[in-house]
Amino acid sequence: MAKAENVIEIKNLSKIYNAGEDIAVHALSDVNLAVKRSEFLAIMGPSGSGKSTFMNILGFLDSPTLGKYIIDGIDGSSLNNDQKADIRNQKIGFIFQGFNLLARTSALENVELPLFYRGTVSSKQMREKAAELLKLVGLGGREHHIPSRLSGGEQQRVAIARSLINDPAIILADEPTGNLDTKTTNDIMNLFRKLNDELGITIIIVTHEPEVADFTKRKIVFRDGKLIQDVLTKKKKNAGYTRELYK
Amino acid sequence: MKLSISIHSAITTLKKNRTRSTLTSIGIVIGVASVIMMVGFGYSAKIVVRQKVFSFGENAVVVQGSPKEFITAKDSKYLRDNFYEIKYASLNTTEKNIRISKGSKVASTLLNAVENDFFQIQGWKLKYGSYFSREQMDNLENVVIVGDTIRKNFIGFTDPVGQEIIIDGKPFRIIGSLEPRGLTFTQTDFDDFVAMPYMTFHSRIKNEKIRTELFVGAVDEQSLGKAINILKSYFRQKYNQTADEKDDFVILTNDENLEIAEYISLTLSSLLIGIASISLIVGGIGIMNIMLVSVSERTREIGIRMAIGARNRDILMQFIIESVTLCVLGGITGILLGYLIYFIIILMLGWQFYFSLLSIIISFSFACFVGIFFGYYPAKKAAKLNPIDALRYE
Ligand SMILES: Nc1ncnc2c1ncn2[C@@H]1O[C@H](COP(=O)(O)OP(=O)(O)OP(=O)(O)O)[C@@H](O)[C@H]1O
Ligand SMILES: [Mg+2]
Repeated sequence: MAKAENVIEIKNLSKIYNAGEDIAVHALSDVNLAVKRSEFLAIMGPSGSGKSTFMNILGFLDSPTLGKYIIDGIDGSSLNNDQKADIRNQKIGFIFQGFNLLARTSALENVELPLFYRGTVSSKQMREKAAELLKLVGLGGREHHIPSRLSGGEQQRVAIARSLINDPAIILADEPTGNLDTKTTNDIMNLFRKLNDELGITIIIVTHEPEVADFTKRKIVFRDGKLIQDVLTKKKKNAGYTRELYK
Repeated sequence: MKLSISIHSAITTLKKNRTRSTLTSIGIVIGVASVIMMVGFGYSAKIVVRQKVFSFGENAVVVQGSPKEFITAKDSKYLRDNFYEIKYASLNTTEKNIRISKGSKVASTLLNAVENDFFQIQGWKLKYGSYFSREQMDNLENVVIVGDTIRKNFIGFTDPVGQEIIIDGKPFRIIGSLEPRGLTFTQTDFDDFVAMPYMTFHSRIKNEKIRTELFVGAVDEQSLGKAINILKSYFRQKYNQTADEKDDFVILTNDENLEIAEYISLTLSSLLIGIASISLIVGGIGIMNIMLVSVSERTREIGIRMAIGARNRDILMQFIIESVTLCVLGGITGILLGYLIYFIIILMLGWQFYFSLLSIIISFSFACFVGIFFGYYPAKKAAKLNPIDALRYE
């Protein structure tokens, strides 16, 4: 079966918050976007421009006010809460800026958690797979450490391992390097690139830092809830290609 | 989502807040402990009274005569011989503290001055020797049948027949000894007594026929009522009572005592039921409160769980399992504590211990019920959270 070529298809998406009496916040207005399988995308834009709102809709954590969103062939508007939970569990891997992990819960148990909710895997298999992924993100031997014993970068690696455990179609990372130093940021970004290159996982990250965005293959920029720029990242090999969306 | 994993993670979570969990479950502990004690005391009290009552004997009643005229051997013989319903009848005078000795051993014991039917009514069996013979009774011989405790203490573990023992300063010959009752009843030792022929007692030791009672054994349980009626009309006639006079005698039955016993244990039980339900409700509200606190403290955790695929009912189950686990652990502690207190008090009262599986099952299910009932609202609150609101919660 040929899967839909686009892993993400967004059409005329809007999100309007009613903040107070009659003040409506247009967090997203009329966004259109198509993302192919195995793309590596950075979302940029000033604070309050709607990046997180957009990510949350992509990740089935939130629903849009208007518009269509199809993720890995599934129309998000037609799903109930349980179906959304199952998609978050099986198709999407989440990484947030901080406080990503369950406190006082070992790295291994944190990584296992999505499988636990999936409920189709034995606890032995869960443990094996989680340990394997911790090794992949460079945390072999740290399985039984709780988050408070891990550095920020290490915690993000655990979150990355957790996001991989259900073999997701997409990884969504909202400012994953937000409070990390340059070296750790580079390590994490290299890890993402490796996952994208070697496993072909579609990755979308939100970031403020241009250096972080440079690790990706494509950049989109939001301003005031609108998608204003969509460019291929300049690299030695594929430099030069830029496209203005809105004049 | 597998239950065993959920329970495991609930226990882990509760362990992280050990002090809080312990304090929260105290209400449940007290509630369950009172259920256990309630059932235990109820049964023990019943056993105690049943055993005391049993001193009358099975299907037996006791007539306490009018001071106007003693009950005599004539009465007992007449009743025994003339009515089918009355199988046994025996006079009895009880002397509570009688001095008995042999060599250097001295003790104070209970003495029953009786006829042979007394042993049948109370269900005693001979271990050694024989009952009183016609001749021994008619000749007012100094003979005695001893309970097993007396035999062991004064004679030893051998056949006591023929041995001499001093009762109230007079030498008596042991002609028989009884099988022990085999009751694990520490306060009253039913085997600590001696029995001698009725007339021997009244001529050799104390002539106090005024205290004479009549033990009557009915042929079976169904005949008991009829036997009582026979006794009533017999004694009204004996005392020449007119139709409108009150009975000049008293007929004691086991039933009356049992009713009193049941009344006492019912009162005791209602009191403890009160304590149990109040503490289970208060304990339940405590659990609900702490679960609500826990839900708001862990909103961010709930958000993360939802983001990685927990369905609403997974969150619901997680919190219900936590509150049930809290209650069940409290319940187990309560069962142990209840039995401990019950056991200590029973030991002090010298009552009999009664182990009731049913009360364990009931209190355990009650603890689970409290956990589900009071855990549901906070759990529902957690499950209803919107994933994005939960994640943003600070
Ligand atoms: N629950 C909400 N209710 C009302 N307004 C909201 C809510 N969530 C977000 N907004 C508004 O929507 C807009 C977009 O918010 P969003 O969080 O998507 O911004 P962002 O691009 O992620 O910003 P940052 O870079 O600071 O994280 C903001 O103006 C914000 O105030
Ligand atoms: Mg944001």
